[in-house]
Amino acid sequence: MLQHDVLIVGSGLAGMRAALEVSSDPTLDVAILSKVHPLRSHSGAAQGGIAASLGNSAEDSWDLHMFDTVKGGDYLVDQDAAEVLTREGPENIFELEHMGCAFSRDDEGRVAQRRFGGHTAPRACYAADRTGHAVLTVLFEQLLRRGVKVYSEWYALDLVVKDNVCQGLVAYDILSGQIEAISAKAVMFGTGGYGRAFRVTTNAFASTGDGVVMAYRAGIPLEDMEFVQFHPTGLQGSGILLSEAARGEGAHIVNSDGFRFMEDYAPGRMELAPRDIVARAEQSEIEAGRGVTALRDSVFMDLRPIGEERIRYALPSVLHLARDFAGIDPLDAPVPIQPTAHYSMGGIPCDINGQVRIKDLDGAPEITGFFAAGEASCVSVHGANRLGTNSLLEAVVMGRRAGRGILDVVHDLEPTSIDEGDMANAVGEVDHFLTADGSQKVGEIRAELRDTMMDKCGVFRDDAELKECLSEVKDYQERFKHISIDDHGSTFNTDLLDAIELGHMLEYSEVITTGAIARQESRGGHARRDFPDRDDENWHRHTLAYRPQEGEDGPRLEYCAVNMEPRFREPFPLQERTY
Amino acid sequence: MAQQEFIIERYNPDTDESYEESFNVDVQPGQTVLDSLNAIKWDQDGTLSFRMSCRHAICGSCAMKVNGQSMLSCQTQVDAAAERGDPIRVGPQGNQNVIKDLVVDVNKFLNQFERAETWLEPYEDQEPPEREYRQKVEEFDHWSHASTCIHCGACYSDCTVAAVDENFLGPAALAKAYRFVMDSRDSKREERLQFLSEEQGGIWDCTRCYMCVQACPKDVLPMDAIMELRTLAIEAGHVNNHGVRHHKGFMSGVRKRGRLDEMMLPVQSVGIGRLLTGNLAAHKEMMDYTPGAIRLLKSRKLLTIAQRHGANADGREQIERIFEEVEAEKHHHDVDAEAFGAEFETAIGGH
Ligand code: SF4
Ligand code: SF4
Ligand code: FES
Repeated sequence: MLQHDVLIVGSGLAGMRAALEVSSDPTLDVAILSKVHPLRSHSGAAQGGIAASLGNSAEDSWDLHMFDTVKGGDYLVDQDAAEVLTREGPENIFELEHMGCAFSRDDEGRVAQRRFGGHTAPRACYAADRTGHAVLTVLFEQLLRRGVKVYSEWYALDLVVKDNVCQGLVAYDILSGQIEAISAKAVMFGTGGYGRAFRVTTNAFASTGDGVVMAYRAGIPLEDMEFVQFHPTGLQGSGILLSEAARGEGAHIVNSDGFRFMEDYAPGRMELAPRDIVARAEQSEIEAGRGVTALRDSVFMDLRPIGEERIRYALPSVLHLARDFAGIDPLDAPVPIQPTAHYSMGGIPCDINGQVRIKDLDGAPEITGFFAAGEASCVSVHGANRLGTNSLLEAVVMGRRAGRGILDVVHDLEPTSIDEGDMANAVGEVDHFLTADGSQKVGEIRAELRDTMMDKCGVFRDDAELKECLSEVKDYQERFKHISIDDHGSTFNTDLLDAIELGHMLEYSEVITTGAIARQESRGGHARRDFPDRDDENWHRHTLAYRPQEGEDGPRLEYCAVNMEPRFREPFPLQERTY
Repeated sequence: MAQQEFIIERYNPDTDESYEESFNVDVQPGQTVLDSLNAIKWDQDGTLSFRMSCRHAICGSCAMKVNGQSMLSCQTQVDAAAERGDPIRVGPQGNQNVIKDLVVDVNKFLNQFERAETWLEPYEDQEPPEREYRQKVEEFDHWSHASTCIHCGACYSDCTVAAVDENFLGPAALAKAYRFVMDSRDSKREERLQFLSEEQGGIWDCTRCYMCVQACPKDVLPMDAIMELRTLAIEAGHVNNHGVRHHKGFMSGVRKRGRLDEMMLPVQSVGIGRLLTGNLAAHKEMMDYTPGAIRLLKSRKLLTIAQRHGANADGREQIERIFEEVEAEKHHHDVDAEAFGAEFETAIGGH
């Protein structure tokens, strides 16, 4: 059995920021474990910026940022969390800047800031349009400087929790095929989102919700999983993200008539309305037959109003992506775009110190020694819809807070241990896939699942389609029991990992769908055709989905209240959300 | 829908077998090499292993050799890689050990960053400002391109020096070192320049072969960064003889091995000898000197030849002769690289 004081799973912004914080205590032994090398983490794909009310290019304040966040999240945001996020934003940005982050600069030499959807002030700090990459790189550099131990290309298989106390992890060394137990007094998950279950997505192949499902399997309920953000500017077909920075810089979105249709949906903000609203507007235009290209499944984003020089300077990645992946030069022609599954608002329930808690139970008991931050978690700072540039901020702010949360308690936690019995699930799972001899194929089931989720649990939803979706997901789960894989080797067996990941996708897809069927209202990223209005009386609350026990036929849903108690100001009362 | 043949260099660690395997894949317009590898893995042979994650050229996982050149497979269109319907050859990155199929051991490459300590070292003797450090747009613009490195290893995989010298820090680590040398927030500029000059495998060991610039999918321009570091190091007084000695040893190694990817070296080394005498004027001159070989390289001609034939024992004698001729030309600035290329072609098989 391997052993550390603190084990952090996932090496994106949240995980690395937490590890850096924990490593400030030299008496602690901290390690990071990740299925990809830290520099490959999906945080690096974030393009447009990281929000904070620095006020460098216009007057701004944390209150205003907090209000935008709460409203953007359609009031499902926990206000204690949004307060922490926005108040601590600026100091976190300055800290990253002091670490050497390659932020773009304004004429005064300060960190440059630009506009982003749903934010009333220009508060997106950016590094051209590769902000996630710049932050990820600098955090990894500082981790190297600190000499933090990294289990690179280790796959976490199972979280071990006994009597609400986290013991550690069972993990698989991808290089050697060995399964190892790693005990730790504190484990933190920064394992990212779950967008891979959708056909059209911006997410990396790695974003398969592994951490979320491990927590679920360990008996922890998942919060607000039905809230998935569709980003309005994915490249047609592949869904590859074109940064919202393009809209921030002044790109137009038009339908087949060349009309800037946001005029009809959010006249006050036009293209800079929040993502859920723009994505629904696009989908409505497409469904009304005003889509573009031969397939009529997309609309156009026109960057030319921004001007060539500024596009080259501020949006180099957008320029390259459109050229390399769509064969279109945005300097000459508009780019076809469509809504693409982008961000997972739901996840592992935790508080503002990253402590995982079962929020629907009296006193919200904690899972001792288990923490979460970033996209894998649900604090909830994003509520029903996340504003652009708030995700990097969340990962950094909440990663740091989770690190501090761990520092606060870890010295008082008892040493933990994992015995062979605790490893049985993980060992059994790997063994099953390596020896299974069914006729079903991982690739086929996965492709069908992604179609189902996109077409029946996508931008717009309704009862009938969601129920079809759920029954199809259950069919896939059944078929999944009868798969076989080709690779039975022990070295870098990615065929095996694909199978394990599909198991995760099938499990959380059921949770998303079940939560979506139950939630009979439209709020943020969850839009029901049959219930087009927000219903605060019945639904101003978070969903918590428990894994079915013996005899139960699907996830059991419970609910908990939205936090309305910020510490330093009055809460923002519920209002209608218009732009 | 067209069919495209892929010939994949495979390695099975369990049996220690290396072999080539051919697959036919249906390709749609816009399909990338990575899409095609996935199609093979998902529909034909699940044992095929490679790394990938973001699929849009930002995570740096998927660099491999496509038709002999290192590139990101997710960024490479099948149409662009397939010349006249020829099969597309896909192999693992060079200069690193293969673990399985297209997966290489990246530690050798990534360890170089640790060796060069490419992270910001803050000023110890002063508190950071309350807000951000101020940095002029011009200062930022001067080095920010070098911070766009995605650590994909494509440059290292194609680097002619990394091929023969385990100690070479390599283009990416050197470019990142440059980024910190240029960043006013870093306190170790002087120490860095000294280290990069004196360390075995530092800035003086690059042969200016340009392969890294060619391979890089981002705007890092590693070779240019190394050249700028040399100028800075000279200005800071770090001129030493180690570089010269090492350079000579290296060249004789190339002669003996006669490997094709190193055949670009003689062209580049024309000026390097003078440069290594520490002659500042010669150095500056070199900065503007663009050998015709770069044009050749850009046309991918030499590489195509290289990957098709590989150097054999017979070729080595001719390689030796080319070396001699190039050396004889050493003091002429106008070495005709096109002519060299033609001769090179003859040397390796007369095509
Ligand atoms: S220019 Fe220098 S660093 Fe770049 S590939 Fe050639 S030898 Fe390597
Ligand atoms: S310098 Fe370019 S080629 Fe080399 S690792 Fe960085 S991004 Fe890749
Ligand atoms: S898959 Fe990320 S760079 Fe190609």
